Amino acid sequence: MCFMGRWSEDRVAGAAPDAASLAAARKLARPGPWSGTGSNDVLVWGKCQGSGKAPYEVSVDLAAPAYRCSCPSRKFPCKHALALLLLWSRGEAADDGVEAAGFAREWAAQRADRATVRERRQPEQPADPAAQAKRLADRLALMDAGISDFSRWLADLVRTGMASARTQPYSWWDGAAARLVDAQLPGLAEQVRAMGSDIHARSDWTDHLLHRAGRWWALTKAWRMREHLTAVELADLRVAIGWTVPAAEVQGTGALPGPWLVLGAHRSDDGRLQQQRTWLRGPDGRVVLLLDFAARSESLATPQLAGAVLDATVALYPGSAPQRAMFAGTVGPRGTAETLGGGSSIASALADESAAVALSPWRERHPVLLAGVCVCTAGSGWLRDETGDALPMVDAPLDSLLALTGGHPVDLFGELEEGRVRPLSVVVNGAVVTP
Amino acid sequence: MTWPEELRAAALVGTARHAAPSPPAELGVRPPEGLPAEELLLDQAALADAVIRAARIPRRLDPTTLAAPAPPDDCPQAQGEAARLLDLLLTQPPVGAELRTQLVADWLQYATASGLRVPHRLLPPLLTVADSKSSVAEHLHPAIGTRGRWLQGMLAGNQGSSDMPGEHQQAPAADDWAELAAADATTELERLRRTDPAAARRQLGEHWEGMAARERAAHLAVFATNLGSADEELLERALDSKAKSVRDTAAGLLDRLPDSARAARMAARLRPLLRLGGVLRQHLDVELPPEPDAAALRDGIPADPRSGEPDRLARLDAIIRGAPLDTWTAVAGRSPASVLALLKGETRVLEAIASTAALRADLEWVRALLDDRLDLRLLACLPPAEREERLLRHLRSGAAQPFALVEPLRSLPRPWGAPLAAAVLEQITAKNGGQLAVMLAGTLPAALPPEAAGECRQLLERSDDDAGRRRVLRDAVQYHSFRQSLTEAFR
Repeated sequence: MCFMGRWSEDRVAGAAPDAASLAAARKLARPGPWSGTGSNDVLVWGKCQGSGKAPYEVSVDLAAPAYRCSCPSRKFPCKHALALLLLWSRGEAADDGVEAAGFAREWAAQRADRATVRERRQPEQPADPAAQAKRLADRLALMDAGISDFSRWLADLVRTGMASARTQPYSWWDGAAARLVDAQLPGLAEQVRAMGSDIHARSDWTDHLLHRAGRWWALTKAWRMREHLTAVELADLRVAIGWTVPAAEVQGTGALPGPWLVLGAHRSDDGRLQQQRTWLRGPDGRVVLLLDFAARSESLATPQLAGAVLDATVALYPGSAPQRAMFAGTVGPRGTAETLGGGSSIASALADESAAVALSPWRERHPVLLAGVCVCTAGSGWLRDETGDALPMVDAPLDSLLALTGGHPVDLFGELEEGRVRPLSVVVNGAVVTP
Repeated sequence: MTWPEELRAAALVGTARHAAPSPPAELGVRPPEGLPAEELLLDQAALADAVIRAARIPRRLDPTTLAAPAPPDDCPQAQGEAARLLDLLLTQPPVGAELRTQLVADWLQYATASGLRVPHRLLPPLLTVADSKSSVAEHLHPAIGTRGRWLQGMLAGNQGSSDMPGEHQQAPAADDWAELAAADATTELERLRRTDPAAARRQLGEHWEGMAARERAAHLAVFATNLGSADEELLERALDSKAKSVRDTAAGLLDRLPDSARAARMAARLRPLLRLGGVLRQHLDVELPPEPDAAALRDGIPADPRSGEPDRLARLDAIIRGAPLDTWTAVAGRSPASVLALLKGETRVLEAIASTAALRADLEWVRALLDDRLDLRLLACLPPAEREERLLRHLRSGAAQPFALVEPLRSLPRPWGAPLAAAVLEQITAKNGGQLAVMLAGTLPAALPPEAAGECRQLLERSDDDAGRRRVLRDAVQYHSFRQSLTEAFR
């Protein structure tokens, strides 16, 4: 077990399931109601006097991270766990205590036991090749039917015209998406559902729908010729339609050693699902993407700070570069980088993206590290490199970028998406910061 | 139509009514024969999608829209605990909104005193707070440094301008001034009036004749700043104006000049109205003024209304406000305090005298008046220490309603002295002091001197059912402990 280090307040805030929990936790994050607090390398614990007679017993396993509290809250982690972490992060409580409190130690031991049991059980699961093959055949048949249905839907769409599609109620799109979900094509379903709102929200809806319909059409065609695709091409296709490779299979493949530099991270929330993308770069310059998902009420994995150097090994999902990856084993902090290394011009970043799109036309976004770009305030913000080339930004916190860069050229990491760049981190004064 | 346009048109109305185009020959793609129309269109949509995404090129920006980068900061940024405390206050304040505002302003003052500046990354949240809180806004400089000033300029939309506030306020030449729009001209004159009152007077005097009445009134009102006897000539000229608004503005300004010719004329009107009366000459009778003649009307005494009775009391008010206050002491042959005693019961007259004394900041009269009335306008004339001492006396005498003290207490400079702090704490912790405590909630924490924090802590430990009072005391304790952290962080 590695030493986890003290969390920052931001990191605690990132663990909160919602803003209300965090606000409640902040109110509780004062020494008054707390007693018997303590911490060691892996555990933080304490008792919090609530409205009831007996104080709530709170323990947090920093390594997992995992939370436990004797309170009846359904929020996870609850405000008590968050408040305890806040106090600890500020150094106001739980500062030390080599010997964990009884309740915390007990819980940690139970957790460890269960984890061991789970690990042991997995390989012993009965693997019946015949049953597995049948399951796969069933799934493929279902997907084939779903793809055929979807291509007919697309043909109908262009026969009757996009103008009339725009008059359809949301249920029309939702219904199409639901059929895709039934056909085990959740990736496509997600895109169709998004289109149901984009078609009204976007001013460029005609081109957006036209090009998406084209991309979906190409997907259906690629699916039908999947036997002729290379393994990498097939993997990219699977990602696009939402047929994920189980994490256990990825864990089994070879792992790449670190250290890994966190280039930047982005969180999004579409109302149903939260997503966290973390871009890492390995010692050989390979860039990989960590994807975390959580349902609305759950909390995402703790975000990694841009500029952090992690002692970790990652396992790669199949597909073309930049590949999706997952941590294999524990993650330990090694230090912080003063720079993200050499970046490229806007023109060559776009050329890289073109090359990646040519390999995998389903790809939505591409990581870029731009060298010496200035922030310009026109519209929703632009980046301009020293050759005078410019790119519009998306989701850019302009005032923060201006405050950090002062309008001077900086190295900036971001994601290219639909011809715009989403800034995720900048290098200023020998530090990588998140705007 | 270009290929993408044709494609879009066909897709919009549908292939049932609009044939799909053919891909342009330059792309070197030829669709297979005999494809259904909708497949022909979808194939081309897929092609268009891939072509566009694989062929993005950088855009060019109009270089004239580019802002000049910020000049380098010349003082070091706050580090460590000081930076952390500001971050805490801005992003997750551990205290209420009012305390937060106060503490952010305190932080800025500490930073200024230590020659440190706000870390760049905290500028946006700080400027957001300053947008709605003037007490923070007024302490921004110099603590936000060069970068902060530059950012303010950028956010205000002054693209391409890295001018510091104040630098670009070069006075335009007199000719230019007359060309300005009326509102801008007033602003400019106001600025000039602050720095060079005589120049402002010359400026307005030179252009006086050519101006509309509304402009004259607006420009003249600016002279309230740095008003002096040198302005009298221009003000007399304004009294000759046809427009009532101009005359009223001039009369209002002349009310503040007890040595002016108009004040002497008013004194001549006031004197005959005053007579010592009563058997023991212990009362000063004040008669109502007669019908105003042309000269009186010019001096701003109200004319007869078109219908109904003339307001003679208003005429008396105008005379009192215009005349020097020593007219009263001269007629009565006694001190201001004795004059006020002679006027006991004449509330309207006393009120006119009080507003005149406040307007002229005549300290002798202000002090005499304050002996038996608590008036914010009068208190504001006193130097802070004396003001505080007056309030303390009022508090201790128990004569004044505690609530009447709320506004005067709020307007005192902070922190208060220890005796006043102790007296106020005593008031609010008295049996019925809870409401006073709540009314002073926003003021008290920062107004109490650090030495009073200990007493607040003790008071807080006493059992008390009054939630409002507990909150105020707790705020005071929190404020001082946070301030203590600030002191240590900037040491």
